[in-house]
Amino acid sequence: MEKVQLETLTGVIDKKMNRQLKQYIDICARCAICKDACHQYVGTGDFKYLPARRAELIRQIYKRYFDKAGRFMPALYEAREPDDNLLDELYDSTYACTGCRRCMYYCPFSIDTAWILSVAKAILIAAGRGNEMLGQLADAAIFKGDNAAMFEGVMLSGFDDISEEVRAITGDPEHRVHVNKEGADVLYVALAGAHSIRPAAVIFEEAGENWTISMFEAANYGFFYGDTEKARLITKRYIDEAKRLGVKEIVVPECGHAYRVAEFFYEAWSKEPMPFKVTHILEKVDDYIKSGRITVDKGLIEGKVTYHDPCQLGRNGGKFEQPRDIVKAVTDNFVDLTPNRAEQWCCGGGGGIVAMEEFKDVRLKSGAKKVEQLKASGASVLACPCENCRLQIEELNEVHELGMEIWQVIDLVVAAMPLPGNQKGAEATE
Amino acid sequence: MSDETKVDLELDLKGLLCPLPMVKVSQNINNVPVGGIIRAVATDPGAMADIPAWAQSTGNEVVSADKQGSEFVFLVKRVK
Repeated sequence: MEKVQLETLTGVIDKKMNRQLKQYIDICARCAICKDACHQYVGTGDFKYLPARRAELIRQIYKRYFDKAGRFMPALYEAREPDDNLLDELYDSTYACTGCRRCMYYCPFSIDTAWILSVAKAILIAAGRGNEMLGQLADAAIFKGDNAAMFEGVMLSGFDDISEEVRAITGDPEHRVHVNKEGADVLYVALAGAHSIRPAAVIFEEAGENWTISMFEAANYGFFYGDTEKARLITKRYIDEAKRLGVKEIVVPECGHAYRVAEFFYEAWSKEPMPFKVTHILEKVDDYIKSGRITVDKGLIEGKVTYHDPCQLGRNGGKFEQPRDIVKAVTDNFVDLTPNRAEQWCCGGGGGIVAMEEFKDVRLKSGAKKVEQLKASGASVLACPCENCRLQIEELNEVHELGMEIWQVIDLVVAAMPLPGNQKGAEATE
Repeated sequence: MSDETKVDLELDLKGLLCPLPMVKVSQNINNVPVGGIIRAVATDPGAMADIPAWAQSTGNEVVSADKQGSEFVFLVKRVK
């Protein structure tokens, strides 16, 4: 490796490796308890997906340049230069990781491998080896932020179409998708697709919420890519809109990483306090149901229903009960997956892996535990509040012929609302 | 662009939710030659912003983006 590039990489490591990360690297005892916790290692049996092994690559580079013994006797102390072989291995083990942090949950020292891999991503990006697809998705989002006027017309037209669909469901001619509404209490930061906006609009309108959306979506591929500056810029688009509109609260959609980015990371990236409350949409919906602001009918969802905890919302976000309370409010036929909550198996679709075609094989194999859980539940309906999880589980559903229906939680709620445009709801109101 | 435009690759992206239509176009752009055209048909309205934004930020070109009923039809040209 050329000296200049090597200096760049070691500079990245020096900047990123804080005290906590150095401690993780020091205390890993290679007990390999993490091997039984990792869905990818369990599903593939491939050594490179063993969590301790993923972190070991960073430890080897770190020791080569920042540890006295590793500097002078690299072979003896398992210190390695970041040559092409090591960087290739690092790419595979890093970008394949879904960041579910189940390994951390079971690690006796709570070593946060996903955090260590954020250093790996920074190294790969500095070496010009960041994942191209995730980089492109991040750049496209930033481009939309910088050129919002270019897309306003088509987006407003799309929102008008969704408004029509909302009115067809609720039967109220006044109901609509509110766009860039100054003085709204809530900014709902949806995903780019209509599926994320339509059911939320039905619920907000029925709840009588003073809400709006803006032009910018919540998905953040800069976060998956591993570039915190890109991730900050993507988030900043809707934070700036929230400030301009004067909202009191940002509500993030059924998207695991979007919740963590807004709730846990943006303040650190931007170095400014978040001037409004950040809420997950299922917290709002749970509140609407419990306070009676919306009505749901338990008889409208057929079949046994189960729930998958997306890793970013559950284990990493602490939201376990509100989604379950919502599902239990719409059905008496709920069964939990085993294990569940903090011990829930990752479905294998997180971390942006569904967008990276080169990992398709390992992604599908790593869904083995989720397939086992789904089969054992006996459920015919799965509620799942994460787009990446749903994409993965829908594919597992097809490949393994599970015959399940995979639903957003808010779609399940809308289906259970006795509304005139909702066929089952209409029957219930007769 | 005229109806006689030569299409090098057809992508049926109907039913895919954003950002997957953009992902599929990106994954396939190198499957057409430079100057080649992908015709992509999506149903998620988010694609109307996503695919042009992807094209602009990657230096490719959306030759046309039309709403045809409930479908969104894109002609995307590989520029480099």
